[in-house]
Amino acid sequence: MSVNPRRLRVAALALAAVSTASVTACTAGSGGGGAAGPTDTLTVNTSFVLKTLDPGRVYEATGVTTTHALYDTLLTFKGSDVSKPVPELAESYEASPDAKTFTFKLREGVKFSDGTPLTADDVVFSLNRLKNVKASPAVMVTDLTASKTDDRTVVVTSAKANPNVPVVLAMSATGVVNSKVAKANGATDGADAASADTAQQFFDKTSAGSGPYVLKSYDPSSQVVLEANPNYWGGKPKFNRVVLRNMDVQTQKLTMSRSTAAEVSLDISGKLLDGLPDSLQTSGVQDTVYYLILNADPAVSKVTSDAKFRQALRSAIDYQGVAALFGKGAGPGAGLVAPAFPGTLTGEESKRDVAQAKQLLTDAGLSNPTVKFTYPAITYRGVDLGTVATKVQGDAAEAGITLELNPQPLTTFLDQMRGGKMPMGFTPQSLNYPVADSLVNNMAPGAGSALRAGWTVERAAPSVVAAGEKVVSTLDPAQRAEAMKDWQREMNAHGPYIVIANNSGMNVATSDLTGVEYTPAGWQLDLAAIGTR
Amino acid sequence: MTEVSTKQDPGAAVTAAPGPRPRRRRPMLTYLAKRLVITVGLLLGVTVLTFGLVQVVPGDPVTANLSDQALNDPAAVAAFRAKWGLDQPVHLQYLHYLGNLLTGDLGISQQTGRSVAEDLLQYVPATMELAIPTMLLALLLGTGIGMLAAVRNGRLTDQVIRVGALLGLSTPPFWLSLVVLYLFFFQLGLSPSGGRLSPGFTPPDTVTGMYTVDAALAGQWDLAWDAAQHLVLPVLVLTCLTVAILVRFVRSSMLEVLQQDYIKAAYAKGLPTGLVLRRHLLRAGLVPVITVSGLAFASLLSGTVLVENIFGWPGLGQYAYRSASALDLPAILGASLFVALVYTLVNLTVDLLYGLIDPRIRIQ
Repeated sequence: MSVNPRRLRVAALALAAVSTASVTACTAGSGGGGAAGPTDTLTVNTSFVLKTLDPGRVYEATGVTTTHALYDTLLTFKGSDVSKPVPELAESYEASPDAKTFTFKLREGVKFSDGTPLTADDVVFSLNRLKNVKASPAVMVTDLTASKTDDRTVVVTSAKANPNVPVVLAMSATGVVNSKVAKANGATDGADAASADTAQQFFDKTSAGSGPYVLKSYDPSSQVVLEANPNYWGGKPKFNRVVLRNMDVQTQKLTMSRSTAAEVSLDISGKLLDGLPDSLQTSGVQDTVYYLILNADPAVSKVTSDAKFRQALRSAIDYQGVAALFGKGAGPGAGLVAPAFPGTLTGEESKRDVAQAKQLLTDAGLSNPTVKFTYPAITYRGVDLGTVATKVQGDAAEAGITLELNPQPLTTFLDQMRGGKMPMGFTPQSLNYPVADSLVNNMAPGAGSALRAGWTVERAAPSVVAAGEKVVSTLDPAQRAEAMKDWQREMNAHGPYIVIANNSGMNVATSDLTGVEYTPAGWQLDLAAIGTR
Repeated sequence: MTEVSTKQDPGAAVTAAPGPRPRRRRPMLTYLAKRLVITVGLLLGVTVLTFGLVQVVPGDPVTANLSDQALNDPAAVAAFRAKWGLDQPVHLQYLHYLGNLLTGDLGISQQTGRSVAEDLLQYVPATMELAIPTMLLALLLGTGIGMLAAVRNGRLTDQVIRVGALLGLSTPPFWLSLVVLYLFFFQLGLSPSGGRLSPGFTPPDTVTGMYTVDAALAGQWDLAWDAAQHLVLPVLVLTCLTVAILVRFVRSSMLEVLQQDYIKAAYAKGLPTGLVLRRHLLRAGLVPVITVSGLAFASLLSGTVLVENIFGWPGLGQYAYRSASALDLPAILGASLFVALVYTLVNLTVDLLYGLIDPRIRIQ
């Protein structure tokens, strides 16, 4: 064929050239970084876990970070110190000796972002709405009832003795909303709020709080924009505008590596911290525990329900090696309370003893036991849980235990775990609020999570039950922390959980910023506290 | 596809025999009506299948949406089930959904708390903003490079193009996304890292939902420019992948046409190469390419989860993925219906385009 393709080739090359040129032309002027625009903008990059900004329903991490800046709470935590809440809307409070009645005196002169004064009615409405909407955060206030004695005094009563009420009232979900505005947009604090309250869509478009920022725009898959509240009663935040951007964690790392000013990332942790420029600052606290769950119900697994097997597996694990997989900011497991919180088992990290593991198996009469090991096939805080599971599998094999790895999608894993039929599982855990007592309510024998592991009171050692009861009945915070330590030691000796590692949440920020401390309080970063050097 | 027939002899004269006046026929309208009926049936089938699949997937929307502690509270669990109608038998849930669907109500997303229709109106334009320039670029490049490979069959140019296309097809989209991000953003500093706009900008007022278009319509040129810059890298990645598909089909199709006698005759008559390629080769060779292009376009419109995720692009792919992860049934159904509709419309368009491009193909 006498086809001369010269022109065609030229045309094809020209097309390719045009395409490449368009890429270059389109990008040449950007100057990189993508942080064009006003200089008083703070950019926060995070992989969104966000469903709503309604304080009565907020539970997911990004939502909590955001609502903390939109809504004030009676009390709060400053910086990374979560040992004791400090006043915010309440200038002072008193607790009754039986830890059932808490009286809060409201600060004078506080206004919502629309200029309306904040009163005790708004506080009572917000707390009762949170309770009655019955969304995920409602469990924190199930036993609480709020009422007012005058416009500046709120009384919160607890059905049970609970010295942690002030801590609960520092959480973002207890943020105070403008009750008149909220009611006008479908909110209710009535007993039927779970079905009658229709204000979520309103709160996802508009904020009605007294916090340092107001909501400018909300897109749960792209970005949330906040602007400084002109009527804020406290000090004006440094940045007039905050943009929270949804960003994949790998992209966050690349972005921060090039960023020079006013930018923070919330998800770069563990191994991902390797290779970041020295100019960036990091702040983190070990606030997450990773633990194995071994079902105590013989009907589910004769192997995992054997206490000696559980101790054998506990002895087989190389805790230092597991912690190394998590990278910077991680440590070997000790107890169920992470190092960030009062009551943690400092200096009592678990240790490996393969010979002891083998002896325990022999004592139990178990030869080459095999267990199906289920875990969520996800990467959490920069760590692939499959890698950790494989390490545990290898450690167990050295003691003669065969673990059959069974990775599952997260929802399937959660469903199986909560169904109580999983012989062995693996999951990370963070606290809903920065007091570890909730673990006792959830993981002690016969409690919700424990029952899903087949751990009834009847199957538990009496000493574990007694240790848990002691925690709940101790009202003094310092003594309660000590009781928590005893409870964890008992849990380690008899319980169905094996804590294998602790890991840190981490904020990575440009060097020009101040106040970017990581807080284990739940909101990770106090946006209004961020300043510049 | 029984409605479309091929006349092998386009030059044959058709003479009407004298007789009673024939009934007036509107084959195109009949054809479209049939396709519409099929589409409705198809969409209904999609709702049944999706609804059924979500029921058999191991997982419960309650466990996917409530906190661990809330799951221990029967009141919270009951409230969630009642709110989302999960306390009803499955068949009633389905009938309820279908009843709402007939009135255009796609339900409320458990993830966003908004109506699914509202969500789709937000996320689909974002995906379209990626898909349209990608498809235009891919058609331009894919056709040109594919034709070049066909004409240079067996030579070095052809070999290079074939290897390039194979590489393009074999490259995982997420990997390519990370590479271009590393190169153009991290190393060269030529592009933004992700998202649809830089943090300092506010989205334009919604007209089409495509930021570049809306900003241009509003005369906000700096905003349009910023939005265009954010388009470049994801479009580049998607174009590379789509071009790789098209090149192979164009080459294969063109090679077949190049063997036809009428091409040889055209050259024998002394017609210029450009004219032969444009008028005879391109038109005849494009018919099978249109099918592939249509499917590629439909695939782009259905969302590209990994690319959208890495570039922080809030499109349909991310929405569908998030919905599936949380077993958000109304959102899953809404996204599925939209994707089914896209494929149906694209296939219909492709079928109609056949007739336009190849006069031998007409609806009878």
